[in-house]
Amino acid sequence: MGVVMPLPTERKSKIKSFSKADSTDLALFVRTSEEDITGWNRQRIVDALLRETFVDPDTADRISLDVEKTIQNGAVKTVTGPLIRELVNAKLLELGLEDARRMHTRLGMPLYDVNQLLVQHNKENANVPHGPEATNLTLAEGIKKEYALLHVFSDDVADAHLKGDLHLHDLGFIDRPYCSGQSLEYIKKFGLNLPHGLSMAKPAKHAEVLLAHMVKFAAALQSHFAGAIGWDAINLFYAPYLEELSDRDVKQLAQMLIFEFSQQAVARGGQAIFSDINIYWEVPKHFENVPAIGPGGEYTGKTYGEYEKQAQRFAWALFEVYKEGDALGKPFFFPKPLVHITEKLFKTEGHMDFLNHICDVAADKGNTYFVFDRGETAKISECCRLSFKLEASDLEDAKTPWRMRYSALQNVTINLPRLAYRAEGDDTQIFSLITEQIKLAVKAHAQKKDFIGKLLAMGEGGPLSLLAMKLDGEEYLRLERCSYLIGMVGLNEMVKVHIGQELHESDEAMKFGLKIIAHMNIVCNKMNEKNGMKFVLEQTPAESTAYRFAKLDMAHFPKMAKKVVQGDLEKGEIYYTNSTLYHVGSTMNPISRVEREGLFHPLIEAGAITHVWLGEAYPDKGALTDFVIKTFRHTQNDQIAFSPEFTCCLDCGKTSRGLSQNCSYCKSEHVDGITRITGYFTKLSSWNKGKLGELRERYRNEKRFVEKAV
Amino acid sequence: MTLFTKTDCRLCDQLKNRFDFAAMQVDIEVLDNGDAAALAHLAWHSLVESARKTLPLLVLDDSSTEADFNRIEGYLIDKAMQCGLTIKAIPSQSISCDDGSCSIQ
Repeated sequence: MGVVMPLPTERKSKIKSFSKADSTDLALFVRTSEEDITGWNRQRIVDALLRETFVDPDTADRISLDVEKTIQNGAVKTVTGPLIRELVNAKLLELGLEDARRMHTRLGMPLYDVNQLLVQHNKENANVPHGPEATNLTLAEGIKKEYALLHVFSDDVADAHLKGDLHLHDLGFIDRPYCSGQSLEYIKKFGLNLPHGLSMAKPAKHAEVLLAHMVKFAAALQSHFAGAIGWDAINLFYAPYLEELSDRDVKQLAQMLIFEFSQQAVARGGQAIFSDINIYWEVPKHFENVPAIGPGGEYTGKTYGEYEKQAQRFAWALFEVYKEGDALGKPFFFPKPLVHITEKLFKTEGHMDFLNHICDVAADKGNTYFVFDRGETAKISECCRLSFKLEASDLEDAKTPWRMRYSALQNVTINLPRLAYRAEGDDTQIFSLITEQIKLAVKAHAQKKDFIGKLLAMGEGGPLSLLAMKLDGEEYLRLERCSYLIGMVGLNEMVKVHIGQELHESDEAMKFGLKIIAHMNIVCNKMNEKNGMKFVLEQTPAESTAYRFAKLDMAHFPKMAKKVVQGDLEKGEIYYTNSTLYHVGSTMNPISRVEREGLFHPLIEAGAITHVWLGEAYPDKGALTDFVIKTFRHTQNDQIAFSPEFTCCLDCGKTSRGLSQNCSYCKSEHVDGITRITGYFTKLSSWNKGKLGELRERYRNEKRFVEKAV
Repeated sequence: MTLFTKTDCRLCDQLKNRFDFAAMQVDIEVLDNGDAAALAHLAWHSLVESARKTLPLLVLDDSSTEADFNRIEGYLIDKAMQCGLTIKAIPSQSISCDDGSCSIQ
């Protein structure tokens, strides 16, 4: 594509005439998508129609003549490939050949949009910085989104997305699965051996080399998955490499790991890898008797149960680094540390010291995620709240942990408030509409699975060769074991529309909310049986979806939406409450919030969380430890995270607690805020308007905890 | 009192055969696949994970909960006696539930 200029006289003679009768009359240069300048050639329209559509040759010829005439009549002096294609599409439309028009569609972007993208920060994902690499990502995503909606998904699914009935996440990554959780054992055993790699590395012999392999493998995985890359029991699997290291060296390794992942903003789209590390103080039961792999990929002759102390040393050191923060004292955004709180933790020596240590980090920097694995439950967690519960087959895999890898193939989120608008207070209708939407989400999942399956089947020569590699005899992506996520946005607003109260306002509202999620859980289970796929509910992080749905509903259902949409309507900073969360501004005490929101969590099997916003508060670590233990013992809550806020001065570089307009040290107004957007910390300057609206309304639990003594 | 049960649960059936729940004013919630109200009620009492391990489950009038089968029987016997009702004899063969049918999936 590009501009087309009148044909210079001296070159006219060199233009080959492809159509004897008429095309030479058009003294045009056509700039083609092959970056070539050619003369007018009507036959190319015919060829394209015959190649790309099912139009018969006579009709194709007729269309090409019509287009040629249009160009002649319009006295067009410049013409581009896209313009010709649009003229052809207009003719196809006139002839009622809609299927052909769709097949003949050109994907791309208006010049104006590209101009905007090049200079303005795209804030759809706050983890994408602003720069040329990010622009590349956005442009590529734009085309892949169009491709997905036109070619991968059926019209009903695509239309539902476009209208905002549901949201197909990561359409710009249509040729990748959603996210991946795995074990370090894969690279410990097989080395860094990637398809089409320029060199192959044997299994690491030293901890630093293992770290280098891990970081590179994570980057390779980021190029093949849309979202988070999670690592299971990271401190345990490093443990066999640590025996010869001093405490100082272990701390150095911890520092390297955290800095490597938090600074790797040089990969896809300039993004840091959305990375999660699962950490255990104890040796999880399913790894106790597993033979440990050590340097060189060799068995050490010990089981992982025997590496408890080394694993604890590394876990402790990691949190020391988190506590210190980066060079300016800011919290690290990635990798997110997810600590599993289990029954066994409380039976393991030193657990209270460790809990105090990680709660100190939670209070100071906010990094710690607390993942509650009650009873016999074991899981791998990642992303903002996603978790894969280990089933019998997974626990069997745990005996050879390199086999442990889990993926969610796609995430589809349902706009719950809209269903309430449509149901108009009718109970039967609201449940029926939910079922209908889940069925549509299931259809979307099946279509994505089919598409990815075809790419994967191309094996080593295909685009997903990394996921097709079979170093342990199975493809890295075990498609038949993938999960398919079904999320929800705005349960709180749905309930408000339907029964007049928000979730926190009455037991009746809460009970109705539970019934909605119970219904969704049941329908998913039925769909599992029917389709042989694993559909699971997940609380959608909805970083931009909560904003998108609210905006679309203000456009399509303005009378009803304006009564329930949260945020500032005048500023356009609007949003729906995430997933099943209570209104962020409700002033309930944090343990009640954790307990009440936690009632939903057992029904949301792929992960749920409660956020405790701290604002400027700096709780005492002991107070948070008590809170965490209470949550484990007395609630059903799946995960919690504490989120302080910070102001970072862009002039003097200092970081202070709380959000303010000025630096508390040098008084500069050149500052940026930092806090948790959904599941991760990031700078406020990269937040979308909906999230900014939410931030203003968050209830900070500033007098709810015993404060740290100064 | 509310007793959470399931139709194909042998332990639940044993209780149903012994007690007249209607006369005892014990509410029965049947967690059959498809009953969102019952599942939501179960969640309200924080019992979803418990029901994934075992059924029946009993919620007492003070909202405390019981998962142990023998203790549930005990509570129901007390309640039946308070109501002046007769209780059918315990089957000679004790029923166990090793196949996972006495739980929700």
